Amino acid sequence: MIKLNDIVVKFGDFTALHNINVHVREGEFFTFLGPSGCGKTTTLRTITGFIEPVSGTVVVKDRDITHVPIEDRNIGIVFQSYALFPTMTVYDNIAFGLKIKKLKKDEIDKKVREIARKVDLSDEQLGKAVSQLSGGQQQRVAIARALVTGPAIICMDEPLSNLDAKLRVQLRNELKKMQKDFGITTIYVTHDQEEALTLSDRIAVFNKGYIEQIGTPNEVYNFSKTEFVCNFIGDINRLGDEVVAKLVEAGADVDPAKHNYVRLERLHVNVEPTGGQVALEGKVTMREYYGLYIKYYIDLGSQTIKVIEKNDGVRIYESGQSVRVILDPADIMAYAPEKEEEVRG
Amino acid sequence: MSQSLDRRLRPDFIVRMIGLVFFIYLFFGFMLLPCLNTLTSIFREKNAAGEADPFAVIRFFLAGTMGRYVWNSLKLAVCLVITVNVVGISLVLLTEYFDIKGAKILRVGYMTTMIYSGVALVTGYMFLYAGDGMITSVLKDRFPDFNASWFSGFNAVLFTMTFACTSNHMLFLRNAIRNIDYNTVEAARNMGANPFKVLWKVVLPTLIPTLFSLTVMTFITGLCAMSAPTLLGYDSINPEIVRLAGSSVADESFPQARAALLSIILAMFTIVLLTVLSAYERKGHYLSVSKTKAKLQKQKINNPVANVLAHIYAYILFIIYMTPVVMIIVFSFQNHSAIRGKKLDMNGWTIINYIGKQDYSYTNDRGKVKTVAGAISGVFSNEKTLGGIKLSFLMSAIAAALACVIVVVACNYMFKKKNKGTGVVLEYALLFPWLLPTILICYSYRIYFNSNAVWYVGNQNLYFKENVRFLIIMAYTVTKLPFSLRMIKASFYAIDEELQDAAKNLGASGLRTFLKVKLPIILPSVLAVFALNFNALFTEYDMSATFQSPQAISYAMVIQGMTADATRGANMNALGRRCASTVFIMIVSGIILYLVYGVGARDLGERLEHRRKRRELWARLTGESRKEKAAEVRDA
Repeated sequence: MIKLNDIVVKFGDFTALHNINVHVREGEFFTFLGPSGCGKTTTLRTITGFIEPVSGTVVVKDRDITHVPIEDRNIGIVFQSYALFPTMTVYDNIAFGLKIKKLKKDEIDKKVREIARKVDLSDEQLGKAVSQLSGGQQQRVAIARALVTGPAIICMDEPLSNLDAKLRVQLRNELKKMQKDFGITTIYVTHDQEEALTLSDRIAVFNKGYIEQIGTPNEVYNFSKTEFVCNFIGDINRLGDEVVAKLVEAGADVDPAKHNYVRLERLHVNVEPTGGQVALEGKVTMREYYGLYIKYYIDLGSQTIKVIEKNDGVRIYESGQSVRVILDPADIMAYAPEKEEEVRG
Repeated sequence: MSQSLDRRLRPDFIVRMIGLVFFIYLFFGFMLLPCLNTLTSIFREKNAAGEADPFAVIRFFLAGTMGRYVWNSLKLAVCLVITVNVVGISLVLLTEYFDIKGAKILRVGYMTTMIYSGVALVTGYMFLYAGDGMITSVLKDRFPDFNASWFSGFNAVLFTMTFACTSNHMLFLRNAIRNIDYNTVEAARNMGANPFKVLWKVVLPTLIPTLFSLTVMTFITGLCAMSAPTLLGYDSINPEIVRLAGSSVADESFPQARAALLSIILAMFTIVLLTVLSAYERKGHYLSVSKTKAKLQKQKINNPVANVLAHIYAYILFIIYMTPVVMIIVFSFQNHSAIRGKKLDMNGWTIINYIGKQDYSYTNDRGKVKTVAGAISGVFSNEKTLGGIKLSFLMSAIAAALACVIVVVACNYMFKKKNKGTGVVLEYALLFPWLLPTILICYSYRIYFNSNAVWYVGNQNLYFKENVRFLIIMAYTVTKLPFSLRMIKASFYAIDEELQDAAKNLGASGLRTFLKVKLPIILPSVLAVFALNFNALFTEYDMSATFQSPQAISYAMVIQGMTADATRGANMNALGRRCASTVFIMIVSGIILYLVYGVGARDLGERLEHRRKRRELWARLTGESRKEKAAEVRDA
């Protein structure tokens, strides 16, 4: 569907994107994830045509669009600020693209009302100014405006970042539902890993202009390809040399020469170790209460390790309490220190 | 590919080239060359022996009385800075900071200078305070020792301008004080500071940047004062330039070069002051660090004596501001004899000063009764006045619109990333007239274009006959460019770059994006600038007086000429017409300011809401009237 082949983008001397290769499939919800300044928005703007790459090609449905003007690409965008035209009503905002395509008036009207119904905007809201709508409604207008012209792809640049936490979660769900209903190929840019994990079919994790990993949410989270990815996504413990030594001593298959990580929820407190699991003695130093779960900071002597336990009301540990932390060596993600470079090469 | 590139480049390229040529023509033809001509003219002067003597004028300046005009202007500017700041700060504190009873009404009074200024205001003050003015006459009756001619020369100019030049304080200082974070005041009070200490230590320091700008603006206003010194008789620079410009070599030594020299001195002062101001502004302001600003609450003056004094002071100022306005409105509805006698005549109410014509009969020295047809006429029935209104209306509207169009086109160019370099050049070119006093520009036009030798205007003498109107329109436009640029440029910052990207993504061309997306966003500001430009130009006196052409007598010049010198015969109600004119100006300005700050400030949501309410009201009215009709039919 969309293929980015060896895309390089430079701003003056600064190389913003190094040989980006992505293949997005038809109907897929594909997310560009990464910290700010990693190149995810630049990649998106290269696809939409606001930025022209120094080298490489953008291919959509086997057509090279690298040098096609923005307006001829047939790619819809939902902007971070929504970029709704403040001097137009909701109706006129949605109809803007159709008017430019010189559709007949009754055809425009039909299309606008149809898309408005699909994104849950009432006739009354169509007559309002965009400033009279709530954040969520504005987002729906932005999506309707991007979809009404029937684009092959829709691009979204952090569309939820302007909203408060609760609305963000609510709209996230709506967004996913809408994408499913419309079945449109979607490219989504975000720095929020939770958003990426919940929404995406596949994720590309960006770092400093490179792609570190492309995979499903499960692959990216549980089988992080690089040290950067495993650190960027979710919370994680890096195991110190002494802990690693203890594991080796207990017969676990762990390589001390590598950086070894284990996710917080893969560790357990005071349960019976089963085949291959290793128990480590420690003391609770601090407890963070989250409601759904509790995060414990446990001092293992050589390092403090974080553990998450479900708040089931049965096992709750106090500060100062001695506990046993159970670790399954199979849950360890290990990275050779130089591996990062290999991937980039 | 190349074809589509060609297609997209061609019209764009042509438009850009036309724009470029136009700006170069405007800058060189109507800014730089005429003013350079003035600048160099002082060095081209010939002495008595007919030899070129570059320093003749300067020697004349140093030896003669010319320095007096400069000194007088400086004196006025310095005194004004003090008095205007004292009064202006008082007005703002009394209406915004301290808890004074009736602050809303006081504010209305203090803001009256925004709806009438220049000649209209000065003649209004003369009506009250001149030797035969109303208030002076009353005072003279009460206190026989009172100096009836107190209102002339420096005193009169300083008095009038002190109260006339506080509009900027009421606009900018008021805004600044309203933006103060009240939590800072509360914090200071909490730490034990009394209200005056808070004012002095916390509030005023945050206002210093605004006050500095206001001080510079007031100083320049004082230096460049024109209508007040002209009408009240004070020898300052500008009236002298205008006088010299109309003088000839037969009357005095090199008047033109002397006028040029004075213009240049004025320009040098302005340039120095504006440089200081912009350097200061660039240093940055005290920005409020607060993210949750609290609204300023009025401070009660706890000391009862201070409180009473503050109230008395506030209401005295109110009376000073309101008296001319009220008197002008009242007397504009009085007949000519009441106005001449400056005494209210309860039987003398009339609208003749506004509309209509009357004959005037009197008995001459030989005892014969003579009648002058149409000697009394209203503003809208007097050909000369109406002519002035029409001409000023047209010239101001064209110039105000032209300035806006030029600046919008320039801003649209400047705000494109790829044009950054040339954009800066363009911006400075448009700000250029700001450095020069308007009088210098007008004077330069008058001299430079009063010849058949200017090739780029087709060797036409633009000062000749009706051509001068074009010249005035150009002068109006050019002098309004800097203000328009500052205001409209600010509105361009409101255009989110993503909006342009969105329009482009949806397939809109550059032109369409400009017309459908950008223009509607900036339009309220552009219309506001148009209205403010028009407002200022419609009643301007300084520039048209510099041109002094019988083919271009502006409205303000007509008003200035309305003096009741004819005791017999023509022009009997000139003073009444002057009052009515001032009222007319107040109404026009009032409407414009309401449209700009009231209606123009509404966004689309508010406009739609207003429209819905209007429709509801209309439906209710028509619905009810329909019901009434139905009831009538039934009754019948």
